Amino acid sequence: MPRPSPLGLLLVAPALALVAALFLYPLGFSLVAAFTAEGQPTLRHFEKAFELYATDIRFTIFIVLFSTVLIALISIAIAGVLTLSETPWLIATLRWLYRWPLFIPFIVAAQCMRTFLAKNGLMNNTLVAAGVLEPLQAQSFLDWRGIVITFVWKQVPFVTLMLAGAMASLDRATIEAGRNLGASRLRVLVELVLPQVSQTLLVGLVLSFVTMLSVLSVPMMVAGSQPTMLTVDMAFRINAYGDYATANALGVISYAMTAVVAWIYLRHQVRREAEA
Amino acid sequence: MTTAAIEVEKLHVGYGSVAVLHGIDLAVAPGEFVAILGSSGCGKTTLLRTIAGFQKASAGAIRLSGRDVANLPPEKRNIAMVFQSYALWPHMTVLGNVGYGLRLRGVPRAEARRRVSDLLKLLNLSGLEDRKVTNLSGGQRQRVALGRALAIDPQLLLLDEPLSNLDAKVRVQLRSEIKALQSRLGFTAIHVTHDREEAMTMADRIVVMDAGRIAQAGAPKEVYDRPNSPFVASFMGADNTIDLEVAPAVSGVAIRAGTEPPIAWSGQAPFGRVTAYFRDDVAKLDHPGARVPGAIVLPGRIAQRAYPGGHYRYGVAIGERHFTVTDDRYLDLDTPVGLRLPLAQLHLFPSAKEEGGSYGSI
Repeated sequence: MPRPSPLGLLLVAPALALVAALFLYPLGFSLVAAFTAEGQPTLRHFEKAFELYATDIRFTIFIVLFSTVLIALISIAIAGVLTLSETPWLIATLRWLYRWPLFIPFIVAAQCMRTFLAKNGLMNNTLVAAGVLEPLQAQSFLDWRGIVITFVWKQVPFVTLMLAGAMASLDRATIEAGRNLGASRLRVLVELVLPQVSQTLLVGLVLSFVTMLSVLSVPMMVAGSQPTMLTVDMAFRINAYGDYATANALGVISYAMTAVVAWIYLRHQVRREAEA
Repeated sequence: MTTAAIEVEKLHVGYGSVAVLHGIDLAVAPGEFVAILGSSGCGKTTLLRTIAGFQKASAGAIRLSGRDVANLPPEKRNIAMVFQSYALWPHMTVLGNVGYGLRLRGVPRAEARRRVSDLLKLLNLSGLEDRKVTNLSGGQRQRVALGRALAIDPQLLLLDEPLSNLDAKVRVQLRSEIKALQSRLGFTAIHVTHDREEAMTMADRIVVMDAGRIAQAGAPKEVYDRPNSPFVASFMGADNTIDLEVAPAVSGVAIRAGTEPPIAWSGQAPFGRVTAYFRDDVAKLDHPGARVPGAIVLPGRIAQRAYPGGHYRYGVAIGERHFTVTDDRYLDLDTPVGLRLPLAQLHLFPSAKEEGGSYGSI
């Protein structure tokens, strides 16, 4: 192997320094702070975090997992239509429409959802006007459902973009061979196309999972205060009490969730490489 | 008359406003092996894809054993296709690939495994059931693709240039294997290729396509020996051309090449200015002044010589033109020779540019 040249190291040094200063140092600091009190190692902050926020931890896991499942299903459906549909206008419309949410920030999406999903919001007004709903039946979606809807709305385009790209780069003949042998388009999608793009789908979902876990604005703006997601709790501990220790403990719990997902991804990757 | 396994009638196909097939008529008898031959862009693959259902016809009928399938989706046609790129599913084993059609038809697992294993034996792939298809060689992959298509016992097998991605040796071997399988299992097949030899050796009948139309159809020998147009003649390998003049004579015709004296010939030829098409192997070397009945001899000299093995290949210069001839003898460069062209083996067609008048009589 060629020896790394000092010039190369010099060139990457600014980037490395930035990563170290803005990511590694705060990460290490927050890890240490989560496990120490007055210089002594302790699990006190975790006890407090679990005591106060056990419901929110479960709530966060549920929201993010449920959203991930919905994102997967909807992205597969849209990418499947884009790849396998034989109706040109449907493909053109869908292709034009599905990407829009990518360009809208979470906070704007959350704000829009507030007016859309409220009890007298746009969605209910439309349903009432269309005669689908009686005014008295109208209910607010500004709770866990609102968070899930916003996350799914925001992340589906991202995963679909990756997935549709991967499907488009498949050898078209592998799709045609399936239909030729008698497989319906749904079977072609599930049995022949998806297994070939599973890697891309997994990457998209892992990235979405981590993104959703770290969004503060959506749970804060869309849902009420209880239960809520860990990001809101962390912000609250710091803003209201200056309680960095508990906030750091909650942060470590978030890292742990991310780590589980990262582990699943890496294991899958390693197994694939071993097979290839 | 028995019903054709597949019958295509006045088939028109286009991509958007560009018409690709202009009214194709083709009937293939059960158990027949037909090769569709043509250069790139002539519409042969489009014809195959339209029969399979991947391309919509703008007009015309496609009848499979008498049943019109033109409006059926591909999965409802029971036609199997073998693709140029093999199109195997990389996430499945050999068994998974070959048995997929059986799985779709609800064949029980054990029964499917048995049938796949029988088929693999026919294809010389025994024991590879559980191998990943990504771990196979090109020839093995194409055999698996063939097995996958044959597993469903299709009414019709479509082969879309299945051998063109393989190296020469494997290609020749698979050619005869496919042909042997076809005679053994008796399926009807349409094979699309741009390789003349492949079409000739495998097919019962050859269909030559040109610019979205059928130029000629017939038994390989018939198309090879009696092409009906300059296009078919040159596609079948008769790339050399020479201009001749044909005039009526007392018995038969008199044929003259350039300023040479006319040769009497008892065969048939169109009168006037004609272009003769011939293959390299038709021309022979002779003495410059030789007079051979039924042949024209053009004086020239040896301009090039190569030894590709077995015989010599000479470039003979006649005036400003060069013709390629093979001969067993060794000849020095610049040796004067006569290029002997047997008239019966030339394909004579009226020249494209008729200048009219001056060649009607001698």
